[in-house]
Amino acid sequence: MSYRFRALIVFVISLLLTGSAIGQGSVVIDFYFPSATANDAEGIFQGYADAFQEENPGISINPVFTGSYTDTRNTILTELQGGGAGPDVAVMLSIDLYSFAEEGYIVPAQTFIDGMEDGEAFVADFFPALMSNGMDADGNVWSIPFQRSTPILYYNADLLAEAGYDSPPTNNAELVEIAQALTTEDRDGLLVPVAGGFPIWMYQSFAIAYGQNIVSEDPTQVFFNTPEAVAAVEFVRSLGTDLGVGPAGGAAWGDTPTAFLAGQAAMIYHTTGNLTRILRDADFEVGVWYLPSGPAGEDGTGYGAPTGGGNLYIFDDGSKSDAEMDAIWKWVTFLSSPEIQADWGATTGYIASNASAWETEPLASLAMEYPHYLVARDQLQHVGKEFSSYATITIQGIINGTLQSILTGEAEDAQAAMDAAQAQIDGILAEYR
Amino acid sequence: MNKTTGILPRLATALKIALAVAFLIPLVFTILVSFRPEAEPVTKGSIFFGSEITLVNYQRALVIAPWSLHYLNSFLFVAGVLLVQLVTVTCAAYAFARLRFFGRDLLLMIILLQLMIPSGVLLVQNFRTINMLGLFDTRIALMIPYWGSAFGVLLLRQTFREIPIELDEAARIDGANLLQVIRHVYVSNAIPAYLAFALVSVSSHWNEFLWPFIITRSEEIRPLTVGLNKLIKTTDQGAFYGQLMAGTLIVITPLVILFVLFQRHFVESFARSGIR
Amino acid sequence: MSMNTPRRPLRSIAIPYLLVAPTLILVLMFNVLPAIRTVNDSLYKPARGLNSAGKPPQFVGVQNFQDLFDDSHYMGTRFTRSFRNTIIFALATVGIGVPLGLLLAILLNREQPLLGLWRFAVFYPSLLPLIGAASIWSFIFSDSIGLANAILKSVGHPGLNWLGDRNLVLASVVIVNIWKQAGYFMIFFLAGLQNIPRDLYEAAALDGADSLQQFAYLTLPLLRRTLLFVIVVSFIFAFQTVEQLQALGEGGPADSANLLLYLIFQNISERRNWGYVNAMTIILIGVVLTFTLSNFLLFERDEKDS
Repeated sequence: MSYRFRALIVFVISLLLTGSAIGQGSVVIDFYFPSATANDAEGIFQGYADAFQEENPGISINPVFTGSYTDTRNTILTELQGGGAGPDVAVMLSIDLYSFAEEGYIVPAQTFIDGMEDGEAFVADFFPALMSNGMDADGNVWSIPFQRSTPILYYNADLLAEAGYDSPPTNNAELVEIAQALTTEDRDGLLVPVAGGFPIWMYQSFAIAYGQNIVSEDPTQVFFNTPEAVAAVEFVRSLGTDLGVGPAGGAAWGDTPTAFLAGQAAMIYHTTGNLTRILRDADFEVGVWYLPSGPAGEDGTGYGAPTGGGNLYIFDDGSKSDAEMDAIWKWVTFLSSPEIQADWGATTGYIASNASAWETEPLASLAMEYPHYLVARDQLQHVGKEFSSYATITIQGIINGTLQSILTGEAEDAQAAMDAAQAQIDGILAEYR
Repeated sequence: MNKTTGILPRLATALKIALAVAFLIPLVFTILVSFRPEAEPVTKGSIFFGSEITLVNYQRALVIAPWSLHYLNSFLFVAGVLLVQLVTVTCAAYAFARLRFFGRDLLLMIILLQLMIPSGVLLVQNFRTINMLGLFDTRIALMIPYWGSAFGVLLLRQTFREIPIELDEAARIDGANLLQVIRHVYVSNAIPAYLAFALVSVSSHWNEFLWPFIITRSEEIRPLTVGLNKLIKTTDQGAFYGQLMAGTLIVITPLVILFVLFQRHFVESFARSGIR
Repeated sequence: MSMNTPRRPLRSIAIPYLLVAPTLILVLMFNVLPAIRTVNDSLYKPARGLNSAGKPPQFVGVQNFQDLFDDSHYMGTRFTRSFRNTIIFALATVGIGVPLGLLLAILLNREQPLLGLWRFAVFYPSLLPLIGAASIWSFIFSDSIGLANAILKSVGHPGLNWLGDRNLVLASVVIVNIWKQAGYFMIFFLAGLQNIPRDLYEAAALDGADSLQQFAYLTLPLLRRTLLFVIVVSFIFAFQTVEQLQALGEGGPADSANLLLYLIFQNISERRNWGYVNAMTIILIGVVLTFTLSNFLLFERDEKDS
């Protein structure tokens, strides 16, 4: 063995023995976050953490990147089930509430809100629609909205104008008419991203527009085989078959904005989270509007979309000291403050979740320059709760699988497939009723 | 081989070119996409270079993760795994190849089970073990499950069995002790097999994602694949292929250089190792 | 096999065990014992329902396994589809990937100009991180912006929905897997080929054997051991590599291209399904064992013959 080789081994071993060193006597908050944006989320959070630590000398924040939303959920559960400490605060999907509450891993934010001087004002500043997934059936707040989104209609205003349409469709009949007028051999009139692993979110828009959301306040109730739910999926399926304005089975999530930007789609349903990127990259005039209203009502009453995105959750198994809990709540209120929300929303394109953030810079001037952002915000008055119940992951899996088999034509009889799914869902939820 | 003329060699050449092109298309495409404006369809602009050639994907990818730190961590990870593996594998392979002891075949079977149990499904339990050992979020935790290698034992046992027993006996007559015999007779006659094993070990651990991701939280010790995942996880806005391709190229470059430099040695190593 | 003297001091009896111990302990700790625990856990159902946190699981015997094979159960269809796909996927990747690896090795065995480049061209996929490789292909397969459909459209075909058509997704995933692994298998075959003495071919040529006959009667029999080894390795790979599904259709519409290990991952964070996760893990390990053990037995028997 040569000398150099030995030296290398010694070097490697000595490096191996140097672990990571964090914290110097103060309260350390482990903050787990997923990355769901194209931005340098890590850099932004480090900036927030630095600003926070400046204000609060005794507290240090340790931001940890934990992958996608699914990875974040799995990482945290693996850690807690494996006897680890877990995070103090984490950004997870707003629909993860019941999974974590059921396991006793998280504590309600309500306790902290009750202890605030201006607790009611704090809650009232958030858009009510964004609070719906963070609250239980009794109205207790568990998690605080942080990076939220909702689907909206994007349209290529130039193409619409060419075909003689000065304004976007406001109901499904107009939607189909315009989409058909704009469909050519090289272009889809309308892309609805329901292909892939997660059709439930876009589908919910249609279910709500048809007059019946598939969830309610009560986490033991799911309405998946109602006439409205069936009609909604049949409408989505027909877009790719009878109406012929998009691909059969729906479009893929990631391809949809790209096709839109390339002029290969005249209109798309997509998340507000893409607004910043689409405005930046489009070489035509981009229009956005509420998702068209369904037959549930004349203009306005039939609008509908679910909320989406992530909330701030507080983890405690009862062992944390008051000082730690105080520090945790300070960090949560810091991240949900109008200043941070305005910055985070303007940087990433998420909908800033409190009303006052929209009067705060840099968001206020951005919204002035691009009224598109205000459309996304104002649609919030029409949106419904995102799907979440007890056994969320399992039931979501059943619904996604059923939607996929209906949309791809494997299950021709939508009603029968949805009845079967509803029976399985009720079987599971019976354990919670 | 014999000198042949006629249709077959020409067919072979045509086949070779066709296959190489088919295999290379994704790589060429990856490189092109990494220099193309973000997620531009191939129908836009030049089919090869898009509407313009840009470095913006690399700039964005470089900002998103601390690559030099990740490089160092990946290097330490694969080196730390390999160094310990070389020792454990050599010892076990020697025992299984040349020593007769009660339960030998059973113990070998138990070790080979490692190849057949998908480790991904044991995450929670292995996390618990690491946590009990107090190793969570350390470099050791990253490496320890890989320190025992059934593949390596299998490979080297095979190689050792083909080393003439006379060499072993001669060394012992010369007064060599067990460790000296292992080192001078077996290790030094199995260098190709070690190289082959090193290639397999390094390339697979370089690309390991799930375990390093689950068992570490500190950026200071996380490997390249975690950095790559920061580019992939853009679920809300769809995939950002440009920066993802740039990141993929950043991650694999060292392995590619290694292969190009040592390609011939690797093949020969495999040829001279027991596996054939 | 070495012959040791019949009576040995205790120290030398202990030596083999000491040598094997590090590997054995590590394998027991991180692979075998957790797997054994999984067998036990597969006979339990976690407590479910309100206020179930912290309650002990309930012993249910083989109920979890029965549910998996019950088509009306919510895991039933998902499991049976994924199980079927896993077998198809393994047979297809091994059945196509291994012969392709052999073909590549034969083409790239002899000295020829740019040999290193040719070998690199087919080997580099195995150096890519799985998720990076899968992402490349997800772009290639992408419906409206991808390369595959751009090529199809240029020859007048309307294009395929590679990752959305339930009859096509599994095939797409198989294509990616073969591309990723054929070059890796080639390395083993190259090694095997280099060990076949040249003069055997010369003798065969003198006897008038053409290339195909040489391959059938000389190369193939002499590569038998390599072939068996590669088949074992490729089956193990086929059952264990699923990270790519995350970028390639997430198991396809309604599990039409889901694989067992990925289905396990999809349910691993839902406590109520742990019984099923454990049962599926046992079934998966059983399948891998069946496939590989039979190959190992062949491999070992072959070994003793030679």
